[in-house]
Amino acid sequence: MISVKNLKKQYKEAVVLDVESLEIPKSECFGLVGNNGAGKTTLFRIMLDLVRATEGSVEINGTDVSKSEEWKRTTGAYLDEHMLLSYLTPDEYFETLRKIYGLSEADLKTHLERFTDLFNDEIVGKKKYIRDLSKGNLKKVGIAAALMGNPEVVFLDEPFENLDPSSQVRLKKLILHEKEASQITFLISSHDLNHVTEICDRIVLLEKGKIIRDLREKAEMMRELEEYFVG
Amino acid sequence: MIFQLIRLQFIKSARSTSFAKSILTNIFLGFIILLLLSYVVAAGFFLKDIIIVLDGDVDPLEALNGYLIFFFLTEFMYRYFLQKLPVVELESLLHLPIGKRWIMNVLLLKSFISPLNLIALLLFTPFAIQVILPQFGAVAMWGWVGAIVLTSWILHWFMLWFKQRFEDSAIGLAVIIAVLLLGAGSNYLGWFNLGELMKPVFDYAIQSPVPLIVLAVLLGVSYWLCYQYHVQNAYLEDLAGEQEEVRSFGQSIGFFARFGLAGEMANLEWKLIIRHKKSRTYLILSAFILLYGLIFYTNPAYSSDEGISPIFIFVGVFITGIFMIQYGQLFLSWNSSSFDFFLNRKGGVEGLIRGKYLLFISISVVCFLASVPYVYFGIDILLIHMATFLFNVGVLVHVIIYLALWKPKPMDLNKGAMFNYEGVGAAQWLMVIPMMVLPYLIYLPFALLINDYAGLIALSVVGLIGILAYKPLSKINVQRVYQNQYEISSSFRQEL
Repeated sequence: MISVKNLKKQYKEAVVLDVESLEIPKSECFGLVGNNGAGKTTLFRIMLDLVRATEGSVEINGTDVSKSEEWKRTTGAYLDEHMLLSYLTPDEYFETLRKIYGLSEADLKTHLERFTDLFNDEIVGKKKYIRDLSKGNLKKVGIAAALMGNPEVVFLDEPFENLDPSSQVRLKKLILHEKEASQITFLISSHDLNHVTEICDRIVLLEKGKIIRDLREKAEMMRELEEYFVG
Repeated sequence: MIFQLIRLQFIKSARSTSFAKSILTNIFLGFIILLLLSYVVAAGFFLKDIIIVLDGDVDPLEALNGYLIFFFLTEFMYRYFLQKLPVVELESLLHLPIGKRWIMNVLLLKSFISPLNLIALLLFTPFAIQVILPQFGAVAMWGWVGAIVLTSWILHWFMLWFKQRFEDSAIGLAVIIAVLLLGAGSNYLGWFNLGELMKPVFDYAIQSPVPLIVLAVLLGVSYWLCYQYHVQNAYLEDLAGEQEEVRSFGQSIGFFARFGLAGEMANLEWKLIIRHKKSRTYLILSAFILLYGLIFYTNPAYSSDEGISPIFIFVGVFITGIFMIQYGQLFLSWNSSSFDFFLNRKGGVEGLIRGKYLLFISISVVCFLASVPYVYFGIDILLIHMATFLFNVGVLVHVIIYLALWKPKPMDLNKGAMFNYEGVGAAQWLMVIPMMVLPYLIYLPFALLINDYAGLIALSVVGLIGILAYKPLSKINVQRVYQNQYEISSSFRQEL
């Protein structure tokens, strides 16, 4: 599904990312953890072809992401506010995406209904521009947008950050449900060990740009991670 | 403390993503400013002769004092368009124990260091030395020059306040129009002689120090008012801009829907324009420029019996293309806060660029149609507009976009209007020069060798060829963005 080969990102002398090989099969929920500056966001950005790799390549469904744009049709992502159109209202933003993805109005309605709980009546139908939303609500808009258009792969950077506790739980349920129902491959980076270990089938630990652990055993995950982070 | 603030300012510019570019443009700008100021000094030396040539056998000083009010009205206008508020990352300083009053004083005083504040001094001192010094002596001379310079500086503080207070409102616009009308209209149309209104003040300044003292007090008062206003408004809510009500206008334009993805993007761009103050200003400017023709086409200096004044080509290019020239300068910077959105969609970047093309061309069409009434001044004017319009849409639009793609820098549209003049500067105006030269390169050879109409036909033909070659030409620009997409997106994310 997704395969990363000999990926390297270098700013002058500093190597910020050095991933020899990473294979993510279809419908896996892939968790990415690591301390600040470990290279999580950079890895996601390179995988989404937002940043150029110094060496190596990323393939989604067999195509190099920097060579074609086909994969963008089936890939959703929310990394930060740069991915939103802040001068639109959430409704207008979803409407714009609907047209870009060529969905019907009914499709959009069904899609947004899945987020009713998460949105908590603060997003849809509100006369407020995205730029005026709180950080948590921004995140909710971004996540809902990333899941639009029946994507096969979804990238989420720190999805739980800035969300209130009940929203965190709702989001977790949502992701688990989508994973079951639509076989979406999720790539999630997070600092919240409890949440990632709960939803992810596999967790990769980055340190200074390198993969130092690749954990697949649910039972072992939490212990190993706590050992690493807390010491 | 003050050195700390200055140091921060320096570091900010030195670490900016576009440092190298700014240095080059700044050096270039420095030369241009020196050049312009030297023109001002030269004009000052010849002021006396100019007045005699224009007014015949009158006392130059009497005449000049009568004209001064028009000088200040003009100054009011150029200050309105050129004067910038000093930008500092106020948001990151406000929470520190520095004191707003300090920050504001530094900002305001910094704004005072500007070539604009030298113009009055440079223009009128030579005249004073030539005319007033021999007649009335040194004290009178300094009294007179002082009165003029102080008036000019009062305008400086007044304008800082005025722009902040009224810039985006109907009142501000009304005042500007009123000043324009007063300046151009009153004497010209013979309503009343505005010149006589202020003349006594400057006459009196030669004889007595009273006007000087009064103006000095007024200068203090104007600074204090400006300072007070800024201190009181140095809050984050003003910085971040008031939360705007979602406006009912600025909704989608149905017409664009026919163009698929590009149309959708054009609609997005239209919303962007309507919903940000900065871009709205550009739109309003376009409407203003439509009136530009009134200045040129009615001016007897340009209307000759034989053919078309070459300056009209420039006017025509401006009237039908001002929006793409102005707004297009910052081509991708407008989208800097959401560039990843477009990158992350299949065909998103291409759609964005084609959408912008669509919007620029549509607005150009609207401007052309709105300029049709100028046919009142002769069928030639309509032909000029037709030719320049075709040229703008066929050729210039590609050139502008091509130039604008040279290292686009990010621009934060969401920061409120207060203290935010990012990306707008004289450098942007300077980019206009090559664009102004281009139509003449095509027009003049034909106009001089054959006749003016041949020049217009040449412009139109080149424009039509450009329109026919729209696909390959726009492809060049689309390719250029794709080639630089990583650099552009990381500079927009301020990573470099």
